[in-house]
Amino acid sequence: MNMPMPFEEVEHTADLALRVRGATLEQLFVHAAQGMFYLMHCAPTDNSHPIMHRITLEAPDIESLLVDWLNELLYLAERGQEHLAEYEIETMTPTSIVAVTCGWTHHSRQKVIKAATFWDLSIVQQDNYWETTITFDV
Amino acid sequence: MIAKHDLTPVEPFVYEIGKHLRQDMRVPARIYADDYILEMALSDKSIEQLTNTATLPGVVKYALAMPDMHQGYGFPIGGVAAMVLPDGVISPGGVGYDINCGVRLLTCSIEVKAVRSHMDKLMTALFQNVPTGVGGEGDLRLSDKDLRTVLNKGAAWAVGRGLGTERDLEHTEDHGCMTAADASAVSARALERGREQVGTLGSGNHFLEVDEIVEVYDQEVAAAFGLVPGHVCVWVHCGSRGLGHQICTDAVSAMQRSMAKYNFRVPDRELVSAPFESPEGRQYFAAMCCAANYAWANRQAITHNVRKSFDQALAGVIQNRELLMLYDVCHNIAKVEHHVIDGHQVKLCVHRKGATRAFGPNLPEVPDPYRHLGQPVLIPGDMGTGSYVLVGTAKAMSDTFGSTCHGAGRVASRAKARQGMRGEDLRAELEHAGIVVRAGSLRGLAEESPDAYKDLDSVVNVVHQAGLALKVARTRPLGVIKG
Repeated sequence: MNMPMPFEEVEHTADLALRVRGATLEQLFVHAAQGMFYLMHCAPTDNSHPIMHRITLEAPDIESLLVDWLNELLYLAERGQEHLAEYEIETMTPTSIVAVTCGWTHHSRQKVIKAATFWDLSIVQQDNYWETTITFDV
Repeated sequence: MIAKHDLTPVEPFVYEIGKHLRQDMRVPARIYADDYILEMALSDKSIEQLTNTATLPGVVKYALAMPDMHQGYGFPIGGVAAMVLPDGVISPGGVGYDINCGVRLLTCSIEVKAVRSHMDKLMTALFQNVPTGVGGEGDLRLSDKDLRTVLNKGAAWAVGRGLGTERDLEHTEDHGCMTAADASAVSARALERGREQVGTLGSGNHFLEVDEIVEVYDQEVAAAFGLVPGHVCVWVHCGSRGLGHQICTDAVSAMQRSMAKYNFRVPDRELVSAPFESPEGRQYFAAMCCAANYAWANRQAITHNVRKSFDQALAGVIQNRELLMLYDVCHNIAKVEHHVIDGHQVKLCVHRKGATRAFGPNLPEVPDPYRHLGQPVLIPGDMGTGSYVLVGTAKAMSDTFGSTCHGAGRVASRAKARQGMRGEDLRAELEHAGIVVRAGSLRGLAEESPDAYKDLDSVVNVVHQAGLALKVARTRPLGVIKG
C-alpha cells in the first residue's frame, strides 16, 4: 500500500489540525515540520537571508518529542521571522533528536500558530508508514 | 461518542451528564444550552473534552460548559472547572496558550451621528497607531527591568508610564494585576518573546472595534455602566501574545515530565496538571499571573493609542473625546477564589478557558460604582453582528463559580470559513452594511467571517435565561480592525 499524502489539513472547529505521514519516524517529523510551515503561509521579504540551526532535544516519549520539536521550530520562526523548509535529521530515537534545519529569515506569515498541542495526539504505525494528527492552537 | 440520550435536562437550559458515564469522572458535567446549541456541541468533540475535565484531581461540583462551547484542546472552549485547594491540580491546558486573552470596553459621550462621516479617518488612525498582525511589534522597547515590572505589576506599569489613568485600573478585573506574579518564574525564552509586543493586537480572532450602542435592556444598569443608545463605544480584544504562548508551552512540557511522580493519570495529555501547591504548580501559577499582567499592560497600552487616535482623527470635530473604561475581563485564566459549596466557603482554583467571570452584586471584587449591581460582563460577538454587555448575578455565584460565556463560539473551521467567502468579498459585504474594515490579512478576515460563529443572540439568551448573567445592552459595529 502506498503512503497517502505527506500531510493534509483536517477539520477542527476553532484551531488547525494536520494529519501527517512518513515512511519512517524521521520522515514523519520532517513532514510535520513542513506541514506546520505550510499552514503559516510564509512569504519572503526583501531582507530575507539564509539561516541554519542545529537542534538537539530530549523528551520522555515520542509524542512529547514531536510536540517539543514543533514548538522549538515555532519559537525560531517567531524570533527571526524564519521560514525553515529543509531538515536533516542526524540521529533520532523515541526520546531524542539531533537535526539541522535550514531556511530563510524575514519571512512574512499570514497565520500565527501559538503552539503544537497534545490533544488526541498519538503516533501510530499503519501498514508501511507512520501517521499522526496534530492540533495547533491558532 | 457521547449522544443526546446521555444528557439529562436538570433545569431550563441546563443539561447534565452523570459521572456514571465514565469510570474516571469524579464529578458530573453540566452544559448550558438550548436545542440549537446542544446540536452543535454534539457535532464535535467538545462534550468529550468536557467529560475529560471532570476527571481531574480535586475537581468539585461539576465540570461546566457555557453555551459558546466548541472543541478546543484539553478543556473545551467555554469550559469552567474548579479544583479544591490545597490538594487540587492546576492545568495549563485549562487556561490555554493565550493567557488572559480578554476584552475591554471603552465608553464615551460621542454620538454616532457626529462621527459617521469621519469613520474612515478614525479607523485609519486606529490602524496606524495600534500594531496588528502576525508577529506585530509595538513602539515600546522594554528593558529587562521594565519587562519584569510589566510582569509583576501589570496595567499599573502602563499607567505609571502615562498610558492610562487610575480610573482605568479601578475598572479592570483584579485592577489589572494578579499579585501572585513572580517574574523569576518566567523563562528567558518567554521574556524574549514578550519584549517587543506590548501594545500590539496580534492576529486571529483579536480585534479592535468602534461600535454603536443600539439597544438597552436594563436602564438602571446601563446608566451606571455609562451605556447610552446612539453613543459610540470601543472594544479591544487581545491577550498576552508570544510571552503567554511560551509560558504555556514551557509548563505543558515541564508537567509532562513531572506528572508521573504525583500518581494520577489524565485522559488527554493536553490536560497535564500538577498539584497547585507542588513546585511545578506554583511555578506555573506564578508565571501564568505574569502573562495575565502582561496582557493587561498590553490592553492598557492599546487603550492609550486608541485615545490618541480619537484625538488625531476627531480634533475639531468632537469637543469631548474622553474615552472611559467601562471594564476589562479575562477569558483564559486560572484564579484562586473562594466560593460557597454545601454551605461552606471553599478555596478553589477556578479555571476559565473561553469563559468570563460574572460575579454578582455586593462582592469586594466588583468595582465600587458597580458593586451594588454586579460585575460588567463583556461578550464580544462577530464583526458583522455585534456584541453584548451583561451583568453578573448571584445565581452565577451559586451555580457556575461566578462564570458565564465569553463570546459567540465558533461553529465552522477556518478552512470552511475561507471556502464560504473570500476576504475581499467579506470586506465589501461589511462595508455595504456600513462597517468600515481595516485588516492586516484578507485571508485572516475570511476566517473570522460572521458565518463561522454561532448566533450570538442565541448564546446570550441562554446565559440570560439561565440567570448566569443578565442582558444590559447590545452594540453594533461601525468600524472593525482585524490583525
